Amino acid sequence: MLVNDPAAAHFEIDPDRVDLVEEFRRNPKGPHSDTLRKVLHRMRWSGEGGRFVLVTVEPGRRWVLGRLPERRGDPVELFRNQTFDNPAEAEWHVFKLRWQAITGRAIEADSVSGS
Amino acid sequence: MVDTNSVLGYAAPIVASPGERIQFHLSSASLTEVGVEVVRVRCGDPDPAGPGLRLRAMGSAIDGRRPVHFQPIRPGSFALIPDRMPLPQLGSFSFACFLWPTWPAKGATQTVAARVGATGEGWRLEMMADACLRLVVQARDGRTAEVRSTKPVLEREWVFVAASYDEGGALLLEQASLDPQAGRDCSCSNGASAPGGLAWPAATPLTLAARWTGWDGDRPVAAAHFNGKIDRPRLYGAALSGDQLRALCEAVVPRAGDPLLVGAWDLSRGIGSDLVCDRAANRLDGRLYNLPARGVTGANWDGTVMSWQAMPEQYGAVHFHDDDMADAGWQPDFALDVPTDWPSGFYALKLTGTRPDGDPVESFVGFFVRAPLGQAKAPVAFVASTATFLAYANSALRLDQSHAESMLEGLIQLSPDDCYIAEHRELGLSTYDTHADGSGWIYSTALRPILNMRPRANSFNYVNDTHVLDWLEEKGFEYDIIADDDIHREGAALLAQYRCVITGTHPEYYSREMWDAFDAYQRGGGRHMYLGGNGFYWRISWNPAMPASIEVRRDVSGVRTWEGEPGEAYHSYTGEFAGLWRTSGRAPQRLVGVGFDAQVFDRSAFYRRLPASHDPRVAFMFEGIGADERIGDFGLRNGGAAGLEIDRADPTLGSPPHLLRVATADRIGYGGLPSPEEFRTAHRGLDGEQNANVRADMIFFPTAAGGGVFATGSIAWACALSPKGYANNVSRITENVLRRFLDPAPFAGF
Repeated sequence: MLVNDPAAAHFEIDPDRVDLVEEFRRNPKGPHSDTLRKVLHRMRWSGEGGRFVLVTVEPGRRWVLGRLPERRGDPVELFRNQTFDNPAEAEWHVFKLRWQAITGRAIEADSVSGS
Repeated sequence: MVDTNSVLGYAAPIVASPGERIQFHLSSASLTEVGVEVVRVRCGDPDPAGPGLRLRAMGSAIDGRRPVHFQPIRPGSFALIPDRMPLPQLGSFSFACFLWPTWPAKGATQTVAARVGATGEGWRLEMMADACLRLVVQARDGRTAEVRSTKPVLEREWVFVAASYDEGGALLLEQASLDPQAGRDCSCSNGASAPGGLAWPAATPLTLAARWTGWDGDRPVAAAHFNGKIDRPRLYGAALSGDQLRALCEAVVPRAGDPLLVGAWDLSRGIGSDLVCDRAANRLDGRLYNLPARGVTGANWDGTVMSWQAMPEQYGAVHFHDDDMADAGWQPDFALDVPTDWPSGFYALKLTGTRPDGDPVESFVGFFVRAPLGQAKAPVAFVASTATFLAYANSALRLDQSHAESMLEGLIQLSPDDCYIAEHRELGLSTYDTHADGSGWIYSTALRPILNMRPRANSFNYVNDTHVLDWLEEKGFEYDIIADDDIHREGAALLAQYRCVITGTHPEYYSREMWDAFDAYQRGGGRHMYLGGNGFYWRISWNPAMPASIEVRRDVSGVRTWEGEPGEAYHSYTGEFAGLWRTSGRAPQRLVGVGFDAQVFDRSAFYRRLPASHDPRVAFMFEGIGADERIGDFGLRNGGAAGLEIDRADPTLGSPPHLLRVATADRIGYGGLPSPEEFRTAHRGLDGEQNANVRADMIFFPTAAGGGVFATGSIAWACALSPKGYANNVSRITENVLRRFLDPAPFAGF
């Protein structure tokens, strides 16, 4: 039985690498530098801090931030006051949440324009 | 926010011809009335960047307001042996079996076997929340006794279990680990006293893997389901010791003349069916409910054979799951007699209403109307990839699997349907998912609501395919729908009626019969346009007795979201080897010129023309296209026509010698990752930034008898047909090819 181990992503993120933060902020969809790719893999594979997702409110136009349940069968948690009209804004928002969850350090610069 | 799930339903059958009847089975937990309207689907994708939802009301006899009520779904598989002599007459008894628990840590009671009446009288062998076993007996007067094992059973380790009641007043429970070393030994023997002379309940079936709780019409209702395998369950009419029972159960074929033998259920018999066969003289045959996995290795499987057909006696187990779901069993609400003048197409029952909180409800039940079999109405057939739709039905992959976000290279976008499935696992999941016990779903059926086979569904498969329908309608091409079901059953003769057959964005799942039909069609001069990617990839079986039910087994090759157990790579429905068609000697390249090589979900690429595109024999294809024109540097799926899942040509895998590789998208970037069967050893440099074999190829080749095959090798292709008002080069090439394919003039000069 071969399983995907969420704990297998072990790339250490250097909290001082604000250049990587800036690179992502400028261009959430990539292409990204090699190191930023590793940072993103750590974040996306492990789901550290909870697996954030987008839930479509209006196809192609509006999304609300959500988080997958830890236990199968439980509801998806919705953050109804956190909506986006562009997935790239959501990527940046979640990047900041994950950066803090993994490094313990908050990203101060905030350019989220979602309501 | 439009609610797509407050009322759900399914059509049976999902494919019908004009003049045939389709029944609709609906349920709603919150609405008492819904608006019903039959629509023909031109485009099912609500994305505002594309054509948008395009549904044509048909004005059917069933349109109008209709009452709707709640109908439950009861998941969980089990075996039921009807109450027959001598079950109610037993005094002392013994039950024994081999057990392979897959979720002992569930934290709830799971039933191994039981014969329990309405008020709990009877006996039951259970695995408790702490993974220890217990045998409970209860008299009609309420007196109970039980014996518990003192060691918890281990997950995915075989253990022999023997339980007995002696009417003299004793209970015995013994378990023996089959691999009693290295910390795996959970063998123990425990006894307890019990009331003597118990009488067992009447009119009570014997069940395996769940406890029967009553009847809903003619369907049994059960509870406390077991997760795992049960092998060689046997029942004796005496209190035998563990050693005696072990010796008896080790024998694959019991002595049928043994007067103590009440039932010996041989689960290696009737593997392709729901039959539970008793080899004892009493013939206490039963049946399985909700399609537990058959053709799985038993406790005695030793690796000598890999197929249940080669040595069925080593496949005498069934793997039960508490979330197996094969048939919702809902009562039909009403039926549609498909009018004889309705055109073939994708159809849906549109269900509308208002939620108690005021949000609008707009739900759909998808179905398909084909041309009457043998009476083609159009020169073109578009294939409804119902096998693929079933394989993906109610996929929870993005909810449950940790690789999903990395694979998609970005935040997972869920639809309201996904959120509904998150909480409503009783719908039954897809063959991409794992059961709650971690094992893969190998069966999928259409006898349940399928949320992603209808308009507004997630943009994959069904919805993407409707972009081809939208394009055909936009361009004025008449077409018939033929479904995978029909191709499987009717074969090449069905395809042969059409001058051109189009397979859509993702015809991934193929039975041998379907493959043979296409092979014969192409050899016979047919024209095949394959406008997708990752097609003709996994081998499936259709259940011969249960329409619209397929089996998928994932072996140790291919892009697989789960991996099957060793020795379990043969379909239970047909006995065929499962896995990739490539592994069975039929790489897709042999049939359609190209075959799956990579996934690329972060961005889609464009095609560039190759020298072969200037060959005069394919001049028809590039009429109106510039020599250096980028093809498909636009599209609804990540900005290009080459993306999501892509295919390439390869002579070593069977691409024909006369194949012309006319265009390629071979600059895919690092998001393009090859499928596992595409590399023999892991090394840096596998991704699309460095690896030229990660690419989508556009190809053409002529076939025997003047036929031809055109393939684009990309799922994203069809989603690039509509941009710029359909006046784009993806649309142009598709139209050029279709017009030429409709021209009966043979392809010559190759």
